[in-house]
Amino acid sequence: MLKFNLLKPQPFLHFQGELPLQGACAVFGDSGAGKTSFVRALAGLDTGFSGFLNCQGKAWQNEGVFIKTEKRNIGMVFQEPRLFPHLDVQGNLQLACIKAKNSLYSIKQLAELLDFSALLSKKSHQLSGGQKQRIAIARAILTAPDLLIMDEPLSSLDQHSRALLLPFIKTLSQQIPLLYISHSMQEIFYLCDQMVLINQGKIEAIGSPQALFLDARLSLVKHAHSGLLLSVESLSWDAQFSLVHGFVDGQAVVLAQEKKSRETRLQIKVESKDVIIATERFNLSSLQNCLSVTIEAIEPLSVNSALLTLTIGRQKLLAKITMKSLNELKLKKNQSVFAYIKALSILGDTL
Amino acid sequence: MLSEWDYQAVFLTLKLAVSATLILLVISPPLAWWLSHSKRFYRPFIEALVALPLVLPPTVLGFYLLISFSPDSLLGGFWLSLTGDHLAFSFSGLLIASLIYSLPFVVQPLQSAFVNLDKGYLEVAATLGFNPVETFLRVIFPMVLPSFIIAAALGFAHTIGEFGVVLMIGGNIPGETQVLSIALFDHVETLQYRQAHFLAFSLLAFSMLLLMLIYGVLQKRQKRLYHA
Repeated sequence: MLKFNLLKPQPFLHFQGELPLQGACAVFGDSGAGKTSFVRALAGLDTGFSGFLNCQGKAWQNEGVFIKTEKRNIGMVFQEPRLFPHLDVQGNLQLACIKAKNSLYSIKQLAELLDFSALLSKKSHQLSGGQKQRIAIARAILTAPDLLIMDEPLSSLDQHSRALLLPFIKTLSQQIPLLYISHSMQEIFYLCDQMVLINQGKIEAIGSPQALFLDARLSLVKHAHSGLLLSVESLSWDAQFSLVHGFVDGQAVVLAQEKKSRETRLQIKVESKDVIIATERFNLSSLQNCLSVTIEAIEPLSVNSALLTLTIGRQKLLAKITMKSLNELKLKKNQSVFAYIKALSILGDTL
Repeated sequence: MLSEWDYQAVFLTLKLAVSATLILLVISPPLAWWLSHSKRFYRPFIEALVALPLVLPPTVLGFYLLISFSPDSLLGGFWLSLTGDHLAFSFSGLLIASLIYSLPFVVQPLQSAFVNLDKGYLEVAATLGFNPVETFLRVIFPMVLPSFIIAAALGFAHTIGEFGVVLMIGGNIPGETQVLSIALFDHVETLQYRQAHFLAFSLLAFSMLLLMLIYGVLQKRQKRLYHA
Protein backbone atom coordinates (compact mmCIF):
# COMPACT_ATOMS: atom_id res chain seq x y z
CA MET A 1 0.00 0.00 0.00
CA LEU A 2 1.22 3.47 -0.91
CA LYS A 3 -0.10 6.30 1.25
CA PHE A 4 0.72 9.84 0.34
CA ASN A 5 -0.07 13.48 0.81
CA LEU A 6 2.43 15.46 -1.22
CA LEU A 7 2.25 19.17 -1.86
CA LYS A 8 4.19 21.57 -4.04
CA PRO A 9 3.33 25.26 -4.28
CA GLN A 10 4.93 26.24 -7.58
CA PRO A 11 3.55 24.94 -9.96
CA PHE A 12 0.67 23.89 -7.72
CA LEU A 13 0.51 20.13 -7.24
CA HIS A 14 -1.30 18.20 -4.56
CA PHE A 15 -1.33 14.42 -4.55
CA GLN A 16 -3.24 12.79 -1.74
CA GLY A 17 -4.54 9.26 -1.51
CA GLU A 18 -3.86 5.57 -1.11
CA LEU A 19 -2.98 2.99 -3.70
CA PRO A 20 -2.90 -0.76 -3.23
CA LEU A 21 0.32 -2.16 -4.65
CA GLN A 22 -1.34 -4.88 -6.64
CA GLY A 23 -1.87 -5.47 -10.34
CA ALA A 24 -1.82 -2.63 -12.81
CA CYS A 25 -3.02 0.82 -11.85
CA ALA A 26 -3.56 3.39 -14.57
CA VAL A 27 -2.65 7.05 -14.16
CA PHE A 28 -4.91 9.06 -16.43
CA GLY A 29 -5.41 12.74 -17.09
CA ASP A 30 -5.12 15.49 -19.67
CA SER A 31 -1.74 16.60 -20.98
CA GLY A 32 -0.12 18.81 -18.37
CA ALA A 33 -2.47 17.62 -15.62
CA GLY A 34 0.47 16.33 -13.58
CA LYS A 35 0.64 12.60 -14.32
CA THR A 36 4.40 12.56 -14.80
CA SER A 37 4.90 14.87 -11.79
CA PHE A 38 2.87 12.42 -9.71
CA VAL A 39 4.97 9.38 -10.54
CA ARG A 40 8.20 11.37 -10.25
CA ALA A 41 7.18 12.44 -6.75
CA LEU A 42 6.53 8.80 -5.84
CA ALA A 43 9.92 7.77 -7.25
CA GLY A 44 11.73 10.51 -5.35
CA LEU A 45 13.00 12.11 -8.55
CA ASP A 46 11.41 15.44 -7.65
CA THR A 47 12.63 16.88 -4.37
CA GLY A 48 10.35 19.93 -4.30
CA PHE A 49 7.43 18.28 -2.47
CA SER A 50 6.50 18.61 1.17
CA GLY A 51 4.20 16.23 3.04
CA PHE A 52 4.53 12.51 3.50
CA LEU A 53 4.82 9.34 1.49
CA ASN A 54 4.66 5.85 2.99
CA CYS A 55 5.26 2.59 1.20
CA GLN A 56 4.16 -0.64 2.91
CA GLY A 57 4.29 1.18 6.25
CA LYS A 58 7.83 2.46 5.65
CA ALA A 59 8.33 6.23 5.53
CA TRP A 60 9.80 7.30 2.20
CA GLN A 61 9.25 10.95 2.88
CA ASN A 62 8.08 13.16 5.74
CA GLU A 63 9.38 16.26 7.56
CA GLY A 64 12.66 14.62 8.55
CA VAL A 65 13.00 11.77 6.08
CA PHE A 66 13.72 11.56 2.39
CA ILE A 67 14.64 8.15 1.06
CA LYS A 68 16.55 8.65 -2.16
CA THR A 69 15.36 7.13 -5.41
CA GLU A 70 18.14 4.53 -5.43
CA LYS A 71 16.90 3.17 -2.08
CA ARG A 72 13.21 2.94 -3.07
CA ASN A 73 13.64 -0.01 -5.41
CA ILE A 74 11.34 1.41 -8.04
CA GLY A 75 11.71 0.42 -11.67
CA MET A 76 10.98 3.21 -14.10
CA VAL A 77 10.31 3.32 -17.80
CA PHE A 78 10.50 6.94 -18.86
CA GLN A 79 8.63 8.42 -21.81
CA GLU A 80 11.89 8.44 -23.76
CA PRO A 81 13.93 5.22 -23.65
CA ARG A 82 17.05 6.88 -22.14
CA LEU A 83 19.39 4.02 -22.99
CA PHE A 84 22.99 4.81 -22.12
CA PRO A 85 24.65 5.80 -25.41
CA HIS A 86 28.14 4.54 -24.55
CA LEU A 87 26.96 0.97 -24.01
CA ASP A 88 25.46 -1.64 -26.29
CA VAL A 89 22.15 -3.28 -25.45
CA GLN A 90 23.79 -6.06 -23.47
CA GLY A 91 25.84 -3.51 -21.49
CA ASN A 92 22.76 -1.44 -20.72
CA LEU A 93 20.93 -4.50 -19.42
CA GLN A 94 23.89 -5.77 -17.40
CA LEU A 95 24.13 -2.42 -15.66
CA ALA A 96 20.56 -2.90 -14.45
CA CYS A 97 21.41 -6.33 -12.98
CA ILE A 98 24.25 -5.09 -10.75
CA LYS A 99 22.04 -3.96 -7.89
CA ALA A 100 19.12 -6.30 -8.54
CA LYS A 101 18.18 -9.00 -6.07
CA ASN A 102 16.17 -11.97 -7.33
CA SER A 103 15.13 -10.71 -10.71
CA LEU A 104 12.13 -12.56 -12.12
CA TYR A 105 13.67 -12.76 -15.56
CA SER A 106 17.15 -13.13 -17.01
CA ILE A 107 18.45 -10.98 -19.87
CA LYS A 108 18.12 -13.98 -22.16
CA GLN A 109 14.50 -14.66 -21.23
CA LEU A 110 13.51 -11.03 -21.74
CA ALA A 111 15.38 -10.91 -25.04
CA GLU A 112 13.22 -13.78 -26.25
CA LEU A 113 9.95 -12.53 -24.77
CA LEU A 114 10.43 -9.02 -26.12
CA ASP A 115 12.06 -10.13 -29.34
CA PHE A 116 15.41 -8.36 -29.17
CA SER A 117 17.85 -11.31 -29.08
CA ALA A 118 19.33 -10.14 -32.37
CA LEU A 119 19.96 -6.63 -31.02
CA LEU A 120 22.10 -7.41 -27.96
CA SER A 121 25.34 -6.19 -29.52
CA LYS A 122 23.83 -3.05 -31.07
CA LYS A 123 24.37 0.45 -29.74
CA SER A 124 21.46 2.67 -28.84
CA HIS A 125 21.83 4.87 -31.94
CA GLN A 126 21.46 1.82 -34.20
CA LEU A 127 18.00 1.01 -32.84
CA SER A 128 14.53 2.20 -33.80
CA GLY A 129 12.30 3.94 -31.27
CA GLY A 130 10.26 0.81 -30.67
CA GLN A 131 13.33 -1.34 -30.19
CA LYS A 132 14.80 1.13 -27.71
CA GLN A 133 11.60 1.23 -25.70
CA ARG A 134 11.40 -2.57 -25.49
CA ILE A 135 14.95 -2.60 -24.13
CA ALA A 136 14.16 0.21 -21.68
CA ILE A 137 11.26 -1.89 -20.39
CA ALA A 138 13.52 -4.93 -20.07
CA ARG A 139 16.06 -2.82 -18.20
CA ALA A 140 13.46 -1.65 -15.67
CA ILE A 141 12.25 -5.24 -15.12
CA LEU A 142 15.81 -6.50 -14.57
CA THR A 143 16.23 -4.24 -11.53
CA ALA A 144 13.71 -6.54 -9.77
CA PRO A 145 11.63 -3.59 -8.57
CA ASP A 146 8.95 -3.66 -5.87
CA LEU A 147 6.97 -1.24 -8.02
CA LEU A 148 7.28 -0.65 -11.74
CA ILE A 149 6.33 2.75 -13.12
CA MET A 150 5.74 3.19 -16.83
CA ASP A 151 5.24 6.63 -18.33
CA GLU A 152 3.35 6.24 -21.61
CA PRO A 153 5.61 3.41 -22.69
CA LEU A 154 3.67 2.57 -25.82
CA SER A 155 2.66 6.02 -27.03
CA SER A 156 5.44 6.35 -29.58
CA LEU A 157 5.57 2.76 -30.72
CA ASP A 158 4.83 0.96 -33.95
CA GLN A 159 2.08 -1.63 -34.20
CA HIS A 160 4.49 -4.58 -33.94
CA SER A 161 6.01 -3.37 -30.68
CA ARG A 162 2.61 -2.52 -29.20
CA ALA A 163 1.18 -5.90 -30.09
CA LEU A 164 4.19 -7.56 -28.51
CA LEU A 165 4.26 -5.46 -25.37
CA LEU A 166 0.63 -5.15 -24.26
CA PRO A 167 0.00 -8.84 -23.47
CA PHE A 168 3.46 -9.03 -21.91
CA ILE A 169 2.78 -6.05 -19.65
CA LYS A 170 -0.54 -7.64 -18.69
CA THR A 171 1.26 -10.82 -17.56
CA LEU A 172 3.93 -8.74 -15.85
CA SER A 173 1.34 -6.82 -13.83
CA GLN A 174 0.39 -10.08 -12.11
CA GLN A 175 4.00 -10.41 -10.92
CA ILE A 176 5.07 -6.81 -10.18
CA PRO A 177 2.72 -3.99 -9.11
CA LEU A 178 2.49 -1.53 -11.96
CA LEU A 179 1.72 2.17 -12.25
CA TYR A 180 0.87 2.83 -15.86
CA ILE A 181 0.53 6.33 -17.29
CA SER A 182 -1.45 6.31 -20.50
CA HIS A 183 -3.64 8.41 -22.75
CA SER A 184 -5.18 5.37 -24.34
CA MET A 185 -8.54 4.20 -22.99
CA GLN A 186 -7.95 1.02 -24.93
CA GLU A 187 -4.73 0.21 -23.06
CA ILE A 188 -6.20 1.15 -19.71
CA PHE A 189 -9.33 -0.99 -20.10
CA TYR A 190 -7.19 -3.90 -21.22
CA LEU A 191 -4.50 -3.70 -18.52
CA CYS A 192 -5.75 -1.98 -15.43
CA ASP A 193 -8.28 -2.71 -12.72
CA GLN A 194 -7.46 0.47 -10.80
CA MET A 195 -7.09 4.00 -12.02
CA VAL A 196 -5.84 7.29 -10.58
CA LEU A 197 -7.46 10.26 -12.24
CA ILE A 198 -5.36 13.42 -12.17
CA ASN A 199 -6.83 16.77 -13.04
CA GLN A 200 -5.17 20.20 -12.75
CA GLY A 201 -2.37 19.00 -10.50
CA LYS A 202 -4.59 17.07 -8.11
CA ILE A 203 -5.83 13.54 -7.68
CA GLU A 204 -9.49 13.77 -8.54
CA ALA A 205 -10.47 10.16 -7.96
CA ILE A 206 -9.16 6.63 -7.53
CA GLY A 207 -11.29 3.68 -8.64
CA SER A 208 -11.94 1.18 -11.38
CA PRO A 209 -11.55 2.58 -14.92
CA GLN A 210 -15.15 1.69 -15.89
CA ALA A 211 -16.56 3.44 -12.83
CA LEU A 212 -14.42 6.55 -13.22
CA PHE A 213 -15.13 7.00 -16.92
CA LEU A 214 -18.85 6.85 -16.17
CA ASP A 215 -18.88 9.10 -13.12
CA ALA A 216 -20.55 12.27 -14.35
CA ARG A 217 -19.08 14.31 -11.51
CA LEU A 218 -15.54 13.77 -12.73
CA SER A 219 -13.59 15.66 -15.36
CA LEU A 220 -13.29 12.39 -17.23
CA VAL A 221 -16.85 12.33 -18.41
CA LYS A 222 -15.91 14.43 -21.41
CA HIS A 223 -13.74 11.55 -22.61
CA ALA A 224 -16.60 9.13 -22.11
CA HIS A 225 -19.06 11.35 -24.04
CA SER A 226 -17.35 10.29 -27.19
CA GLY A 227 -17.98 6.64 -26.38
CA LEU A 228 -17.15 3.65 -24.28
CA LEU A 229 -15.41 0.36 -24.81
CA LEU A 230 -17.32 -2.90 -24.75
CA SER A 231 -15.75 -6.28 -24.61
CA VAL A 232 -17.14 -8.94 -26.93
CA GLU A 233 -16.68 -12.59 -26.00
CA SER A 234 -17.11 -16.10 -27.40
CA LEU A 235 -16.25 -15.10 -30.93
CA SER A 236 -17.05 -17.29 -33.89
CA TRP A 237 -16.27 -16.71 -37.55
CA ASP A 238 -18.86 -16.59 -40.29
CA ALA A 239 -17.03 -17.19 -43.55
CA GLN A 240 -20.06 -16.67 -45.80
CA PHE A 241 -20.51 -13.00 -44.91
CA SER A 242 -17.04 -12.25 -43.45
CA LEU A 243 -18.51 -11.60 -40.05
CA VAL A 244 -17.62 -12.29 -36.46
CA HIS A 245 -20.39 -13.38 -34.12
CA GLY A 246 -19.95 -12.71 -30.44
CA PHE A 247 -21.67 -11.78 -27.22
CA VAL A 248 -21.76 -8.63 -25.11
CA ASP A 249 -22.88 -9.66 -21.64
CA GLY A 250 -24.78 -12.56 -23.16
CA GLN A 251 -26.43 -10.62 -25.97
CA ALA A 252 -25.48 -11.54 -29.53
CA VAL A 253 -23.73 -9.05 -31.79
CA VAL A 254 -22.18 -9.28 -35.24
CA LEU A 255 -19.09 -7.43 -36.33
CA ALA A 256 -17.85 -7.01 -39.86
CA GLN A 257 -14.25 -8.14 -40.14
CA GLU A 258 -12.22 -8.84 -43.24
CA LYS A 259 -10.32 -11.86 -42.08
CA LYS A 260 -10.62 -14.53 -39.48
CA SER A 261 -8.97 -13.70 -36.17
CA ARG A 262 -7.60 -16.18 -33.67
CA GLU A 263 -8.73 -14.12 -30.70
CA THR A 264 -11.61 -15.27 -28.56
CA ARG A 265 -12.27 -11.85 -27.14
CA LEU A 266 -12.01 -8.32 -28.49
CA GLN A 267 -12.92 -4.78 -27.63
CA ILE A 268 -15.14 -2.49 -29.60
CA LYS A 269 -15.64 1.21 -29.23
CA VAL A 270 -19.14 2.57 -29.65
CA GLU A 271 -19.43 6.32 -30.02
CA SER A 272 -22.36 7.76 -28.08
CA LYS A 273 -23.70 9.47 -31.22
CA ASP A 274 -23.87 6.10 -33.00
CA VAL A 275 -26.39 4.61 -30.56
CA ILE A 276 -30.06 4.77 -31.51
CA ILE A 277 -32.70 4.31 -28.82
CA ALA A 278 -36.00 2.57 -29.57
CA THR A 279 -38.83 1.57 -27.27
CA GLU A 280 -39.81 -1.30 -29.58
CA ARG A 281 -37.80 -3.57 -31.84
CA PHE A 282 -37.66 -2.57 -35.51
CA ASN A 283 -39.10 -5.23 -37.76
CA LEU A 284 -37.21 -4.34 -40.87
CA SER A 285 -33.99 -2.43 -40.88
CA SER A 286 -30.40 -2.74 -41.96
CA LEU A 287 -29.22 -2.33 -38.38
CA GLN A 288 -27.63 -5.57 -37.25
CA ASN A 289 -26.88 -4.97 -33.61
CA CYS A 290 -29.59 -4.44 -31.08
CA LEU A 291 -29.02 -4.68 -27.35
CA SER A 292 -31.68 -4.81 -24.73
CA VAL A 293 -30.66 -2.26 -22.08
CA THR A 294 -31.87 -0.39 -19.02
CA ILE A 295 -31.59 3.38 -18.70
CA GLU A 296 -29.43 4.03 -15.69
CA ALA A 297 -29.15 7.81 -15.92
CA ILE A 298 -30.28 10.71 -18.05
CA GLU A 299 -28.37 13.96 -18.01
CA PRO A 300 -28.66 17.03 -20.20
CA LEU A 301 -25.56 17.82 -22.24
CA SER A 302 -26.72 21.05 -23.84
CA VAL A 303 -30.00 22.84 -24.60
CA ASN A 304 -30.91 20.32 -27.26
CA SER A 305 -29.12 17.09 -26.38
CA ALA A 306 -28.95 14.58 -23.55
CA LEU A 307 -26.67 11.73 -22.61
CA LEU A 308 -28.17 8.39 -21.55
CA THR A 309 -26.18 5.87 -19.55
CA LEU A 310 -27.41 2.38 -20.45
CA THR A 311 -26.73 -0.83 -18.55
CA ILE A 312 -26.32 -3.94 -20.66
CA GLY A 313 -25.34 -6.40 -17.96
CA ARG A 314 -21.99 -5.78 -16.39
CA GLN A 315 -21.03 -3.29 -19.07
CA LYS A 316 -22.35 0.12 -19.92
CA LEU A 317 -23.12 2.04 -23.05
CA LEU A 318 -23.65 5.76 -23.62
CA ALA A 319 -26.15 7.24 -26.04
CA LYS A 320 -26.36 10.85 -27.10
CA ILE A 321 -29.87 11.78 -28.26
CA THR A 322 -31.76 15.00 -28.84
CA MET A 323 -34.02 16.53 -26.19
CA LYS A 324 -36.84 16.25 -28.69
CA SER A 325 -36.46 12.45 -28.92
CA LEU A 326 -36.12 12.23 -25.16
CA ASN A 327 -39.47 13.96 -24.72
CA GLU A 328 -41.31 12.23 -27.55
CA LEU A 329 -40.22 8.76 -26.40
CA LYS A 330 -40.96 9.74 -22.78
CA LEU A 331 -37.76 8.04 -21.61
CA LYS A 332 -37.30 7.60 -17.87
CA LYS A 333 -34.72 6.22 -15.51
CA ASN A 334 -34.83 2.41 -15.05
CA GLN A 335 -36.89 2.01 -18.22
CA SER A 336 -36.01 -0.94 -20.49
CA VAL A 337 -35.32 0.06 -24.07
CA PHE A 338 -33.50 -1.19 -27.17
CA ALA A 339 -30.17 0.27 -28.18
CA TYR A 340 -29.34 -0.06 -31.87
CA ILE A 341 -25.70 0.36 -32.73
CA LYS A 342 -25.27 2.21 -36.01
CA ALA A 343 -21.49 2.00 -36.18
CA LEU A 344 -18.64 0.69 -34.11
CA SER A 345 -14.92 0.29 -34.39
CA ILE A 346 -12.97 -2.81 -33.51
CA LEU A 347 -9.86 -2.08 -31.49
CA GLY A 348 -6.61 -3.81 -32.32
CA ASP A 349 -6.96 -7.52 -32.99
CA THR A 350 -4.44 -8.17 -30.25
CA LEU A 351 -6.90 -7.21 -27.57
CA MET B 1 72.96 16.26 -31.76
CA LEU B 2 71.19 17.00 -28.46
CA SER B 3 73.33 17.60 -25.43
CA GLU B 4 72.94 15.87 -22.11
CA TRP B 5 71.24 19.02 -20.85
CA ASP B 6 68.71 18.80 -23.62
CA TYR B 7 67.83 15.22 -22.70
CA GLN B 8 67.54 16.32 -19.09
CA ALA B 9 65.18 19.06 -20.21
CA VAL B 10 63.06 16.56 -22.15
CA PHE B 11 62.90 14.23 -19.17
CA LEU B 12 62.15 17.06 -16.74
CA THR B 13 59.43 18.46 -18.99
CA LEU B 14 57.73 15.08 -19.27
CA LYS B 15 58.00 14.50 -15.52
CA LEU B 16 56.46 17.90 -14.86
CA ALA B 17 53.67 17.45 -17.42
CA VAL B 18 52.79 13.92 -16.29
CA SER B 19 52.73 14.87 -12.59
CA ALA B 20 50.70 18.01 -13.22
CA THR B 21 48.21 16.17 -15.44
CA LEU B 22 47.70 13.34 -12.96
CA ILE B 23 47.13 15.72 -10.06
CA LEU B 24 44.80 17.88 -12.16
CA LEU B 25 42.75 14.82 -13.13
CA VAL B 26 42.05 14.29 -9.43
CA ILE B 27 41.31 17.93 -8.55
CA SER B 28 39.36 18.97 -11.64
CA PRO B 29 36.36 16.59 -11.86
CA PRO B 30 34.83 17.62 -8.52
CA LEU B 31 35.63 21.29 -9.20
CA ALA B 32 34.15 21.09 -12.72
CA TRP B 33 31.06 19.30 -11.37
CA TRP B 34 30.57 21.99 -8.75
CA LEU B 35 31.04 24.77 -11.32
CA SER B 36 28.55 23.18 -13.69
CA HIS B 37 25.83 22.60 -11.06
CA SER B 38 26.25 25.09 -8.24
CA LYS B 39 23.76 27.91 -7.89
CA ARG B 40 25.73 29.74 -5.17
CA PHE B 41 26.21 33.46 -5.64
CA TYR B 42 30.00 33.15 -5.45
CA ARG B 43 30.23 30.58 -8.23
CA PRO B 44 31.13 33.21 -10.90
CA PHE B 45 33.97 34.40 -8.65
CA ILE B 46 35.43 30.89 -8.38
CA GLU B 47 34.88 30.31 -12.10
CA ALA B 48 36.71 33.54 -12.95
CA LEU B 49 39.56 32.62 -10.61
CA VAL B 50 39.96 29.24 -12.32
CA ALA B 51 39.85 30.81 -15.79
CA LEU B 52 42.25 33.66 -14.97
CA PRO B 53 45.40 31.97 -16.36
CA LEU B 54 43.69 31.89 -19.77
CA VAL B 55 43.80 35.67 -20.12
CA LEU B 56 46.47 36.86 -17.70
CA PRO B 57 50.00 37.45 -19.09
CA PRO B 58 52.04 34.50 -17.75
CA THR B 59 54.55 36.94 -16.32
CA VAL B 60 51.86 38.47 -14.09
CA LEU B 61 50.95 35.07 -12.74
CA GLY B 62 54.65 34.23 -12.42
CA PHE B 63 55.34 37.45 -10.57
CA TYR B 64 52.67 36.85 -7.94
CA LEU B 65 53.71 33.24 -7.58
CA LEU B 66 57.32 34.31 -7.10
CA ILE B 67 56.24 36.69 -4.34
CA SER B 68 54.14 34.04 -2.60
CA PHE B 69 56.91 31.44 -2.93
CA SER B 70 59.35 33.59 -0.97
CA PRO B 71 60.16 32.15 2.48
CA ASP B 72 58.84 35.38 4.07
CA SER B 73 55.38 34.86 2.61
CA LEU B 74 52.65 32.63 4.01
CA LEU B 75 52.87 29.86 1.40
CA GLY B 76 56.65 29.90 1.04
CA GLY B 77 57.14 29.96 4.82
CA PHE B 78 54.70 27.13 5.35
CA TRP B 79 56.42 25.04 2.67
CA LEU B 80 59.83 25.74 4.22
CA SER B 81 58.69 24.64 7.68
CA LEU B 82 57.02 21.56 6.18
CA THR B 83 59.78 20.32 3.87
CA GLY B 84 62.82 22.40 4.70
CA ASP B 85 63.02 23.47 1.04
CA HIS B 86 62.43 26.67 -0.86
CA LEU B 87 59.58 26.76 -3.34
CA ALA B 88 61.04 29.31 -5.70
CA PHE B 89 63.48 27.89 -8.27
CA SER B 90 62.53 24.30 -7.36
CA PHE B 91 60.67 21.49 -9.12
CA SER B 92 57.94 21.57 -6.45
CA GLY B 93 57.39 25.27 -7.09
CA LEU B 94 57.25 24.61 -10.80
CA LEU B 95 54.69 21.86 -10.25
CA ILE B 96 52.46 24.09 -8.12
CA ALA B 97 52.65 26.82 -10.75
CA SER B 98 51.84 24.29 -13.50
CA LEU B 99 48.76 23.12 -11.58
CA ILE B 100 47.50 26.69 -11.43
CA TYR B 101 48.15 27.72 -15.01
CA SER B 102 46.95 24.45 -16.55
CA LEU B 103 43.88 24.15 -14.33
CA PRO B 104 41.44 25.94 -16.70
CA PHE B 105 42.55 23.74 -19.62
CA VAL B 106 41.49 20.65 -17.68
CA VAL B 107 38.45 22.08 -15.89
CA GLN B 108 36.77 23.68 -18.90
CA PRO B 109 36.34 20.59 -21.14
CA LEU B 110 35.05 18.66 -18.13
CA GLN B 111 32.73 21.46 -17.11
CA SER B 112 31.20 21.69 -20.55
CA ALA B 113 30.86 17.88 -20.67
CA PHE B 114 29.02 17.93 -17.34
CA VAL B 115 26.77 20.80 -18.43
CA ASN B 116 25.84 18.94 -21.62
CA LEU B 117 25.23 15.66 -19.82
CA ASP B 118 21.51 14.93 -19.94
CA LYS B 119 20.17 14.82 -16.39
CA GLY B 120 17.81 12.09 -17.52
CA TYR B 121 20.65 9.58 -17.54
CA LEU B 122 21.39 10.36 -13.89
CA GLU B 123 17.75 9.72 -13.05
CA VAL B 124 17.92 6.37 -14.82
CA ALA B 125 21.05 5.54 -12.83
CA ALA B 126 19.17 6.31 -9.59
CA THR B 127 16.29 4.03 -10.59
CA LEU B 128 18.86 1.31 -11.28
CA GLY B 129 19.87 1.65 -7.62
CA PHE B 130 23.16 3.53 -8.02
CA ASN B 131 24.23 6.06 -5.38
CA PRO B 132 26.02 9.24 -6.58
CA VAL B 133 29.52 7.71 -6.44
CA GLU B 134 28.44 4.57 -8.31
CA THR B 135 26.60 6.78 -10.80
CA PHE B 136 29.79 8.75 -11.42
CA LEU B 137 31.94 5.66 -11.88
CA ARG B 138 29.50 3.52 -13.85
CA VAL B 139 27.61 6.11 -15.91
CA ILE B 140 29.03 9.62 -15.94
CA PHE B 141 32.73 8.77 -16.31
CA PRO B 142 32.31 6.31 -19.21
CA MET B 143 29.88 8.70 -20.91
CA VAL B 144 32.23 11.66 -20.80
CA LEU B 145 35.44 9.64 -21.22
CA PRO B 146 36.35 11.45 -24.47
CA SER B 147 36.14 14.75 -22.58
CA PHE B 148 38.39 13.36 -19.86
CA ILE B 149 40.97 12.46 -22.50
CA ILE B 150 40.63 15.91 -24.09
CA ALA B 151 41.08 17.55 -20.68
CA ALA B 152 44.13 15.45 -19.89
CA ALA B 153 45.68 16.10 -23.32
CA LEU B 154 45.13 19.85 -23.11
CA GLY B 155 46.50 20.01 -19.57
CA PHE B 156 49.52 17.94 -20.59
CA ALA B 157 50.22 19.95 -23.73
CA HIS B 158 49.78 23.27 -22.02
CA THR B 159 52.14 22.29 -19.20
CA ILE B 160 54.75 21.33 -21.78
CA GLY B 161 54.28 24.58 -23.66
CA GLU B 162 54.39 27.10 -20.80
CA PHE B 163 57.29 29.54 -20.83
CA GLY B 164 56.56 32.82 -19.09
CA VAL B 165 55.58 31.50 -15.67
CA VAL B 166 58.49 29.05 -15.64
CA LEU B 167 60.92 31.81 -16.48
CA MET B 168 59.63 33.93 -13.59
CA ILE B 169 59.61 31.30 -10.85
CA GLY B 170 61.84 28.49 -12.08
CA GLY B 171 64.80 30.18 -13.58
CA ASN B 172 67.02 27.98 -15.62
CA ILE B 173 68.52 25.23 -13.48
CA PRO B 174 69.33 22.14 -15.59
CA GLY B 175 67.76 18.99 -14.17
CA GLU B 176 65.68 21.00 -11.70
CA THR B 177 63.74 23.69 -13.52
CA GLN B 178 65.10 23.88 -17.06
CA VAL B 179 62.20 22.68 -19.20
CA LEU B 180 62.09 22.33 -23.00
CA SER B 181 60.76 25.78 -23.79
CA ILE B 182 63.52 27.34 -21.69
CA ALA B 183 66.18 25.10 -23.23
CA LEU B 184 64.99 26.23 -26.66
CA PHE B 185 65.32 29.85 -25.60
CA ASP B 186 68.85 29.11 -24.39
CA HIS B 187 69.84 27.59 -27.74
CA VAL B 188 68.55 30.59 -29.62
CA GLU B 189 70.34 33.01 -27.34
CA THR B 190 73.61 31.14 -27.84
CA LEU B 191 72.94 30.89 -31.62
CA GLN B 192 72.74 27.06 -31.60
CA TYR B 193 70.14 27.05 -34.36
CA ARG B 194 70.41 23.34 -35.23
CA GLN B 195 69.35 22.28 -31.74
CA ALA B 196 66.83 25.09 -31.57
CA HIS B 197 65.25 23.91 -34.82
CA PHE B 198 65.09 20.37 -33.56
CA LEU B 199 63.44 21.26 -30.24
CA ALA B 200 61.09 23.79 -31.80
CA PHE B 201 59.94 21.42 -34.53
CA SER B 202 59.47 18.57 -32.06
CA LEU B 203 57.25 20.73 -29.86
CA LEU B 204 55.34 21.99 -32.90
CA ALA B 205 54.72 18.51 -34.30
CA PHE B 206 53.73 17.13 -30.91
CA SER B 207 51.24 19.93 -30.26
CA MET B 208 49.79 19.70 -33.76
CA LEU B 209 49.25 15.94 -33.50
CA LEU B 210 47.64 16.25 -30.11
CA LEU B 211 45.22 18.95 -31.25
CA MET B 212 44.33 16.95 -34.35
CA LEU B 213 43.55 13.98 -32.15
CA ILE B 214 41.31 16.16 -29.99
CA TYR B 215 39.45 17.89 -32.80
CA GLY B 216 39.37 15.00 -35.24
CA VAL B 217 38.53 12.06 -33.01
CA LEU B 218 37.69 12.85 -29.43
CA GLN B 219 35.28 15.74 -29.88
CA LYS B 220 33.33 13.77 -32.47
CA ARG B 221 33.12 10.82 -30.12
CA GLN B 222 31.84 12.95 -27.29
CA LYS B 223 29.24 14.51 -29.55
CA ARG B 224 28.11 11.09 -30.70
CA LEU B 225 27.65 10.04 -27.10
CA TYR B 226 25.47 13.04 -26.39
CA HIS B 227 23.28 12.74 -29.43
CA ALA B 228 22.87 8.99 -29.59
